[in-house]
Amino acid sequence: MKPKIAFFDFASCEGCQLQVANLEESVIDVAEVVDVVEFREVMTEQAESYDIAFIEGSITRPIDEKRLKAIRKKTKTLVALGTCAHLGGVQRLSNQWSAKENLKEVYPDAKEKNINKNEFFENPHHKAVDEVVKVDYVIPGCPIDRTEFIKVLVALIHGKKPPIPDYPVCVECKKKENICLFTIGKFCMGPIARAGCGAICPSHGSECEACRGYISHPHERAQIDVLEDCGLSADEIMHRKTMFTYKYVEKEKEESK
Amino acid sequence: MGESNTRLLQKKNTQENEKGVFMKVISKQDFSDFITTLINDESLDVHGVKAKDEKFVFGELESSDDLRLDYDTTILPPKKYFMPQYETLMKCSLKSPFDIKEEKPQKPLVLIGVHPYDIIAINQMDAYYCNDDVSKSYLDRRKNTILIGSDVLNIHDKAFFGSMNTGQVENGYDLFLTDLDDKVVIEIKSKKGKKLLNKAAMVREASDVEKQKVTAIRTAAQGKAKRGMKIEPKQWYSLLDQNYTSKVWKNQSDKCLACGTCTLVCPTCFCYDVNDEIDLKGNSKRVRTWDGCLLRQFSEVAGGEVFREDIKDRYRHRFFRKGKYLPDRLGFTACVGCGRCSTQCIPDIADPVKVMNLVFDNSETFIQDEDKQPKSISLDAIKIDEDKATSLHHPFPATITKIEDLTEREKLFEIELDSGEKLGHEPGQFVEVSVMGVGEAPISIASPPKRKRFDLVIRNVGEVTNKLHEMKKGDKVGIRGPFGTGFDVDQYKGRDLLFIAAGLGLPPLRSLIAHVLDKDNRKDYGKVTILHGCKEPCEVLFDSEIGKWQEIENVNVLRTVDRCPEGECWDGDIGLITKLIPKANFDQKNTFCMIIGPPVVYPFCIQILLDLSVPEERIIVSLERRMKCGVGKCGHCQINNLYVCKDGPVFNYKDIKDLPEAFE
Repeated sequence: MKPKIAFFDFASCEGCQLQVANLEESVIDVAEVVDVVEFREVMTEQAESYDIAFIEGSITRPIDEKRLKAIRKKTKTLVALGTCAHLGGVQRLSNQWSAKENLKEVYPDAKEKNINKNEFFENPHHKAVDEVVKVDYVIPGCPIDRTEFIKVLVALIHGKKPPIPDYPVCVECKKKENICLFTIGKFCMGPIARAGCGAICPSHGSECEACRGYISHPHERAQIDVLEDCGLSADEIMHRKTMFTYKYVEKEKEESK
Repeated sequence: MGESNTRLLQKKNTQENEKGVFMKVISKQDFSDFITTLINDESLDVHGVKAKDEKFVFGELESSDDLRLDYDTTILPPKKYFMPQYETLMKCSLKSPFDIKEEKPQKPLVLIGVHPYDIIAINQMDAYYCNDDVSKSYLDRRKNTILIGSDVLNIHDKAFFGSMNTGQVENGYDLFLTDLDDKVVIEIKSKKGKKLLNKAAMVREASDVEKQKVTAIRTAAQGKAKRGMKIEPKQWYSLLDQNYTSKVWKNQSDKCLACGTCTLVCPTCFCYDVNDEIDLKGNSKRVRTWDGCLLRQFSEVAGGEVFREDIKDRYRHRFFRKGKYLPDRLGFTACVGCGRCSTQCIPDIADPVKVMNLVFDNSETFIQDEDKQPKSISLDAIKIDEDKATSLHHPFPATITKIEDLTEREKLFEIELDSGEKLGHEPGQFVEVSVMGVGEAPISIASPPKRKRFDLVIRNVGEVTNKLHEMKKGDKVGIRGPFGTGFDVDQYKGRDLLFIAAGLGLPPLRSLIAHVLDKDNRKDYGKVTILHGCKEPCEVLFDSEIGKWQEIENVNVLRTVDRCPEGECWDGDIGLITKLIPKANFDQKNTFCMIIGPPVVYPFCIQILLDLSVPEERIIVSLERRMKCGVGKCGHCQINNLYVCKDGPVFNYKDIKDLPEAFE
């Protein structure tokens, strides 16, 4: 029996599912080892239960939480797919403001009565999947890396722990013999960001923004010292800390309360 | 020696060397044509130094213009050719996992433009990978390479090879280039090099003036690349030895990102990780990748314990490995002054010049202790026994002949090698058990050497052990080993023995207890006392066997559990194992005491034994760390200067009591 796998999307750009849909020649091999039973982006069928459910997107409204909990009940293994599911995504930055303020900002001309009591607009507040249900594994990244998706899938099929690295992007960057961005006047979260992306951004001269989150024990103080020494202001540092990783900042705020 | 397999690798392998240095000269144009000829030769891979934006890297040369002998330093050292960042050690299909395939070496590699300090680092790497257990994959790559050195024409502002005496090199290369603007001086060092140079046109002997110019370039480079290091390379040893607790380690590591850069870019950092990968088609690869001691999971064991959790400990370990531990083991200071870590560390705390000077400045006293120096060895005298070269990570097939459930978490596996041979282990040694496609786990051998089959007691704590627990009688596993230093059974002859086994410490001790209590050996040893403790009665291992031991004459068994939940039966003591020791009633003057258990038990048990006046040298322990390779190469299991997988796991307390990392 091939394992049944399913994909579900919540608040996201659906880019991670698109990565899966675009697996190209590997798609045939994937179909050899699993049965895709639900995947809105490529098929209309639905299923009663799954062995592995991949969840994309952040969890935003009460109706989303309800739907996610229902999926959790129907699946043996649940995998958060991509940054939005893993950490809440860039949209999580909107948690800095109240739901009301956000609605006013996004729909300035909407009549209040159309928004109130409409479940689609009810109390939007972004959460990572693991803040709502138990997450077994995470495939991080914005978007996810296709090769890594396959590695994780194969590992799960063989009962192995998915090989998501717990070392920083610097390791992959050095192995690729990239010129360190810090030496050419750029800044980067690579020293504390989780690797696995093959240091794709620094390899193309772009600063790492930690879309895969931090490693499990980041020396964050040292990273901030480095950015300060490079002349970054507190605001600029906060910008780098919050692009994809506002979840950590929210946690810090909660803990300091 | 002649043409026998035992020979020196690329060293003194031509008669010419003994007569003196052979220096040739070639015009710039002819040199350029020579490089073009090599590049066009399809039987060769030609790599050399070339530009990458404003920096330099070793890479494939596409034209002779790519070659930049005027480079200052490369981002990564040439170690990547001998120990690639990602190296497939073996391949197999999960359908027939022991039909193992190796990747064959590629075409011969010509590597052009290696600076003297990097050649010295490669010589050190030879010593490391070809010491004791000779790595076949390393040796194959090394022998497959024609190494062409080059003098340093432009000195990187962070380089300090002048301070490390590594600006000139005597051996380890085939040809050596000195670019004199309009011509290139080429020293021929080996037959391989001489043969390669035959492809060049118009080579003539170097004149005395030209030779003098070469000497002048070398002397100038050596003199310039100093950067004010306050101590000599050979003084690193004493300075570090006297400053393990220097405040410099903490002060500096407060700024450390623990990103691993300093180890990855270092030409003398050789540690690695090994993992099994599976692809969609069910093929498996065993892969070696670069690892580094600054990374947190480097010292993590399957149970999740991290032995160098504090960044300070990791930061210090790197300097001690270079200046003290490798000198202890191989006789050289493992820093060649290339300045790569100094350049690439973002918070600028990795620079050996700065750090050694800081340690020196903060050292209240510094005594150059000549007696405590390790023996220094000459790198050109390293003998490599090529016959001993093996694929270090290849397991041998074995079959599970019996599985017994011991507790909820532990099972006993009886295993027989498919070769039909005995494992040939000593009590206290361990094996690496492979589940193909999943990985390896180090497991202590739980049975005495006498039997043909051997026992492993395996707790389900990680991926590999998890898979092992799903296996059935008749299934295949891979075995490497036996590894390490076990118990010295001869040393204990005529003595009484006290065994202190806490929790999973019993299985490795069982290999020795069963050996000692074997009817053929029993007469060699005196009174045997066995203390066994675990958390609860349900965790007791080998219950009936312990009962049988108790019936043997002059054997005393005392047992305890930390607690006994209601409804469970227990007729032994209740309390920690330490409480049993005073009750053991053993002769302190004539007893060897063996302790094995989780890390927490050692300090307490040892202290009680010392308080009872047991001499330090009669206390024997067995330690656990992340033994990944089993052959002293990957670096994960180090306790200060010792490799648990080779020097241990069984240690005499006296030998390790002063090692801060032993009982942390």
